[in-house]
Amino acid sequence: METIDARDLACPEPVIRTKKALENSKDGILTVIVNSTEANENVQRFAKNQGCSVKAAEKNGVFTLEIHKTGQAPEMCQTKAVVMLIASDQLGVGDEALGQLLIAAFINTLPEAKTRPAKMLFINRGVMLTTEGSRVLDSLQKLESNGVQIFSCGTCLNHYQLKEKLKVGKVTNMYDTVDSLLNADNVIRI
Amino acid sequence: MKYGVILFNTTTSVMQAEKILLKADFVIKLIPTPREFSVDCGISIRFEWDQNVQIKALLEKEKVNYEAILLLVVNGI
Repeated sequence: METIDARDLACPEPVIRTKKALENSKDGILTVIVNSTEANENVQRFAKNQGCSVKAAEKNGVFTLEIHKTGQAPEMCQTKAVVMLIASDQLGVGDEALGQLLIAAFINTLPEAKTRPAKMLFINRGVMLTTEGSRVLDSLQKLESNGVQIFSCGTCLNHYQLKEKLKVGKVTNMYDTVDSLLNADNVIRI
Repeated sequence: MKYGVILFNTTTSVMQAEKILLKADFVIKLIPTPREFSVDCGISIRFEWDQNVQIKALLEKEKVNYEAILLLVVNGI
């Protein structure tokens, strides 16, 4: 069992050290020590997103996080976190109707793919895909039930007056979006 | 699960067929043409096979250009 002392390290260093240690860990057990609530939350969220379990203890502002790669989801611990940023209701630039056709075929193919993104973030006209009238709702619902986190930009939903019409996933803000993109192993931008 | 797949020669025909079928309340899905049917990158329309007769009749009535309607058996989807 390895121990990482990430005290006094600035964000995102604690998460990066945790990630590296998890990748190299032989027994899948890791203790991470941090001394800020921000680092505590970031490391915990990262570990949980990787499918690991976390036991946390706090004493005088020092957090000791015991991270276990869990037996149920060993493959998730090794899977790279792919985040898909969907910033349009079309795939590619060109004829609008073709672009909408292509993105429908694209999203309808995702539930059948061997690997899945960890998160899908819908921004700007991308929110047309997560709201009433979208022709890919059932595919997105299937992805969500398979563990893919689906987020729509709240500002965008408001702008297009679609907040009441959200049909799949949750509403997110720019802080979480930035966080998700910066913590991703791989970002696919549509 | 038995699905029907409608293959088309042009994306314009796909769009035309999609519009007509949705208007008639058929449950359909746009998918990339399954690999076993075509090597190029086309878009097809998938539907549950038991709607086969009605869909075919509607497409013909509306004079939609399609290449073929094929049966696709999928496990676990």
